[in-house]
Amino acid sequence: MGANDVSMIKAAHIGVGISGQEGMQAMLNSDFAFSQFCYLQRLLLVHGRWSYNRMCKFLSYFFYKNFVFTLVHFWYAFFNGFSAQAVYDTWFITCYNLIYTSLPVLGLSLFEQDVNETWSLHFPELYIPGQHNLYFNKKEFVKCLIHGIYSSFVLFFVPMGTIYNSERSDGKDISDIQTFCLIVQTSLIWMVTVQIALKTTYWTMISHFFIWGSLGFYFCILFFLYSDGLCLMFPSIFQFLGVARNTMNQSQIWLSLILSVILCVIPAFGYQFLQPLVWPVNVDKVFDRINHCKTRPPQVRVRTKLKHPSLRRSAYAFSHKQGFGALITSGKTTKTKPNKKNSFPVKK
Amino acid sequence: MEKEFHHHPSRMPDNSAMKQQKLPAHQLHFSARVVLTIFFATGVFCFCMGVILILSAQSIQEIEINYTYICENCAKLRENAFNFDQKCTCSVPFYLQENMEGDVYMYYKLYGFYQNHYRYVLSRSNNQLVGKDIMDVEDCAPFKVSQNKTPIAPCGAIANSMFNDTIILSYTLKSSVHIQVPMLKTELTWWTDKYVKFQNPSLINLSDRFVGTEKPPYWQAPIYELDTSDPGNNGFLNDDFIVWMRTAAFPTFKKLYRRLYRVQYFMDGLPAGNYSFNISYNFPVTRIKGEKSVVLSTLTWSGGSSLFLGLAYTVTGAFLWLASFALMAIHMTMKKKKLSYRR
Repeated sequence: MGANDVSMIKAAHIGVGISGQEGMQAMLNSDFAFSQFCYLQRLLLVHGRWSYNRMCKFLSYFFYKNFVFTLVHFWYAFFNGFSAQAVYDTWFITCYNLIYTSLPVLGLSLFEQDVNETWSLHFPELYIPGQHNLYFNKKEFVKCLIHGIYSSFVLFFVPMGTIYNSERSDGKDISDIQTFCLIVQTSLIWMVTVQIALKTTYWTMISHFFIWGSLGFYFCILFFLYSDGLCLMFPSIFQFLGVARNTMNQSQIWLSLILSVILCVIPAFGYQFLQPLVWPVNVDKVFDRINHCKTRPPQVRVRTKLKHPSLRRSAYAFSHKQGFGALITSGKTTKTKPNKKNSFPVKK
Repeated sequence: MEKEFHHHPSRMPDNSAMKQQKLPAHQLHFSARVVLTIFFATGVFCFCMGVILILSAQSIQEIEINYTYICENCAKLRENAFNFDQKCTCSVPFYLQENMEGDVYMYYKLYGFYQNHYRYVLSRSNNQLVGKDIMDVEDCAPFKVSQNKTPIAPCGAIANSMFNDTIILSYTLKSSVHIQVPMLKTELTWWTDKYVKFQNPSLINLSDRFVGTEKPPYWQAPIYELDTSDPGNNGFLNDDFIVWMRTAAFPTFKKLYRRLYRVQYFMDGLPAGNYSFNISYNFPVTRIKGEKSVVLSTLTWSGGSSLFLGLAYTVTGAFLWLASFALMAIHMTMKKKKLSYRR
């Protein structure tokens, strides 16, 4: 492609260069470069769409887990004389984002696929949510925030109610601050793990390893940080000696954990089920058709209607700002030609 | 063109499953049947669990006597800190309606005492309490050193504010015969607290080991005189001290004070009848607008008499059940609509 296309590529949100006989300049200035026009279809409909999907899931989950983590302190402020006493062990605060919850999110962002590549190519309508900013916008962020506030409410008040006027089954103390910290921490980790397990639709072995492995790793680190050896070596730094051992054998702790997880996850789960039924968007109908096709025996390939076939062009520039996307995809800037098989179908 | 390919190394990614996004995987999709089953099963589980918990909490017997203002003259005496060396005792009679069967535990309960305040929780020295270094008072602000600059042992605000009322339970056997109910003052703490986290600097000659330190300002006696009759309960190993040092999470809390010793008349627990608490009133809660009470309680496998968990489970279970029926109804109506459109 010629050097006159370079400014167009630079101005676009995503510039794609096709290496060919007209030199390397356009290719060097582009975000993506490949050698054949037909690869553009896969770039957009498969990888671009997956990337948008993964990014949105990652963002909403990341905001959610940090809202839950932090907002618990808001509720606790009413009970500790507004003295900013933390609800977690300081080591938990250090390790939470870095160690306990980083790998599952990484797995989600790398491997998540809502439909596989064959269906993505079959149904280009699935690309529409990306163009309309459907999966992560201000409304989704507010939903995330509300879910986070509600989860933090449950995460604080269920353990509080459990240990408020309670003792262990042998009469000894259970309503101390270290036990409370442990219960809230463990409930939080379980809650965010179950939440990401529900968000992940494409379960590879690596996803299993990251998600369940992180949970197991949390318990290993927990017992290590609260062990006799470490706490006796550095008594002023590791102060939670024996808390895990003395609390984890009490049934009311596990019951409180199960209740917090159920109360936090079930509304999201129900909403995920209800939303395509009661407030469907166009994409939900496509997903329905895909699921319908999957359950039926394989038939003749479903061909979508072609309205405005595009012309082979030498360069493409895409922008998701208002105006340009509609202009380019409307086909008004191309010459009309008779129907071609296997060409990029564009729907209005 | 072919010559160029030989000179430039291929930057094509490997054809491995991971790099080509073709890893073997299971696509998770929750069908309506699965979702409704999950809702229904969780609802049933929660409801049953809730009922079990409520029944077990109801089987506990508990009696609480708030003695802050009953002992009026003692409360007034303690309002003025200069009266610290004047003893004040108070007797609170009460009547136990039914026998308390099984193990009975006596707690003291405080209201409005913020043991979870940020600076209060920090104000302790674990190095000192584990017996490693008695002179380490670094984190104990503002109770690090006494007025003559000697380090305090045990230092810190938590140790300084230790609960120091003595409560004795006595039973009226006959019209004028009162006997003291035998109570145990050991095994009130977690095993790890007593034998690992808290250790005395030496086993014998405890008072010698504490030379060079002073008692906390609010204490009447130094740490090595907390229980001179039992060396396993003296110094940092004193059960009441350890129980107090385990700071509570909320401003209303109760701490284990004594356990019933099941001998003689109290083999099966506390029989019904007239009892009284003889309290040596030392801890001044009225100044901080708090209250204190004594609690006698039995226990079950699920802990104390709090109904919260049972009620929460029952309510959740009922709600999930209703939700599952509602979802089923919505799903059926939507399915009918879809089928009618397809026709």
